Parts: sequence; C-alpha cells; structure tokens
Amino acid sequence: MEKKFSEMKYGEKGVVKRIEKGFQEKIAGMGIRVGKKVEMLTREPLRGPVVVIVDESRTSLGLGMAKKITVEV
Amino acid sequence: MKVLLMGHPNVGKSVVFNRLTGANVFISNYPGTTVEYTRGYMKIESESEKIEVIDVPGTFSLEPKDKAEEVAVEMLKKEKEAVVISIVDSSKIERGLYLTLEIIEKGYPLILALNMWDIAKDKKIDIDIEELRNLLYIPVVPTIAISGEGIKELVREIKKAKPVKINKIIERVERTK
Repeated sequence: MEKKFSEMKYGEKGVVKRIEKGFQEKIAGMGIRVGKKVEMLTREPLRGPVVVIVDESRTSLGLGMAKKITVEV
Repeated sequence: MKVLLMGHPNVGKSVVFNRLTGANVFISNYPGTTVEYTRGYMKIESESEKIEVIDVPGTFSLEPKDKAEEVAVEMLKKEKEAVVISIVDSSKIERGLYLTLEIIEKGYPLILALNMWDIAKDKKIDIDIEELRNLLYIPVVPTIAISGEGIKELVREIKKAKPVKINKIIERVERTK
C-alpha cells in the first residue's frame, strides 16, 4: 500500500517510492532517496516534525517535507 | 595552499583538524554571521610551506538549509584553489558519499577519509576500499581520528589529490552494473 510519509504509523516500515520533483536533491543529503528503507519512529504533536530511521540513524523531517514523500508500506 | 575539512555534522571533522594542526589555532566568526569556524596551520614533512587548514562547519549537502550550511557552501565557493578532505562516517557511508560526489562535481581535488573505521568494523560493515579507489580515482584513506590512525596516510595524500570528472565516475559505475 502506498502512503504519504506523514501518514505512517509509529514503528511502521516502508520503502521510499516517490519523491516530489525538485525536492529530491534537497533531501538526498539526508540519505533519503527512492528505494531506501525507512522506519517511522515518532511524530511530534502539533504538526511537528516526523522522526524517521534511515541507515540506522535518525533524521527529522518537517511535516511539509514528509508530505512530499510517498512510501510503499 | 589551503585544505578544507568538510563533512556531515558529527563525523569527526574537528578531531581530524586537531590531529593535523596541533597548537596555533584561530577561532573566528564567518564575516557577517554568528557561525564559528576554526583555522590552523600544518606542515608536511620535508616541505617548508605552511598549509592552512580550515575546519568548515558541518553540512549535509551543498544545498544549504540553515546559516551554518550556507557558510560551509560559501567557504567552499570562495576557496577555488583548495584541496578538500571529505570526512565520512564509515558506518553511514552512503550519505557521506553524496556530499563527497557533490564536491567532486564542483571540480575540487578531493581526498576521502573514511573516519570511524573501527565503528564500521564493529557494526560488521565491510567497505571495499580498493573498489572505491578504482571507481572514484581519488585517494581513499580509512581513519580513526580519535586514536590518530590513518592521519599520516591522510597527510601523505594531500599533495596527490587531483580533480576528477564526475561523468567519468558515472561511466565507471555504470560499467560495474
């Protein structure tokens, strides 16, 4: 099933399927690219950032950023 | 001659910096900002020329997202003649290589330091250094900055670094597929 990154549940794992155009380069430096395995760790309340695990390290993404990424779960 | 130390935050840039320079270090704000950076000098054996070493603020990519990253990118732009030592956390090598390739693409001579080599080993991560050298055509040195391992080799490679064309690297990688 496809989901937006921002809709993932706690502890849910998935593979990055699509990243919005023009945004790929911006996020590649954080280690997120198409085909990468990710795990959702936590979502901060009040529209706060989403924390994900990529390559065994944690990265936080703003909610706006998380909405631009589609994940296959 | 100038050497820029670049890499992600928390990969050991400053430890490498301290290993290379020792005393006689200057800390200053980048003009017009409150971002600090450190500058020092080192000598290569058998040569009298002093080499300036700059500890550039950590950045994830050359697309700045905050003030410190902006400074890092600006410093790189300003130092057209510099040699870059790209410091990478060996246990998170993929992200590190992204930044490294971005710097290579800009035409800088670059040495790749695979820092935290011991941690990668502990995590059972195998990195084929020879293959990396063959693909990238740049000096690749495994280092453990906190214990000083690999620093001598790193210094030895500084004079050998040459710019490489990014499309040549892509060609070589394509061929291995």
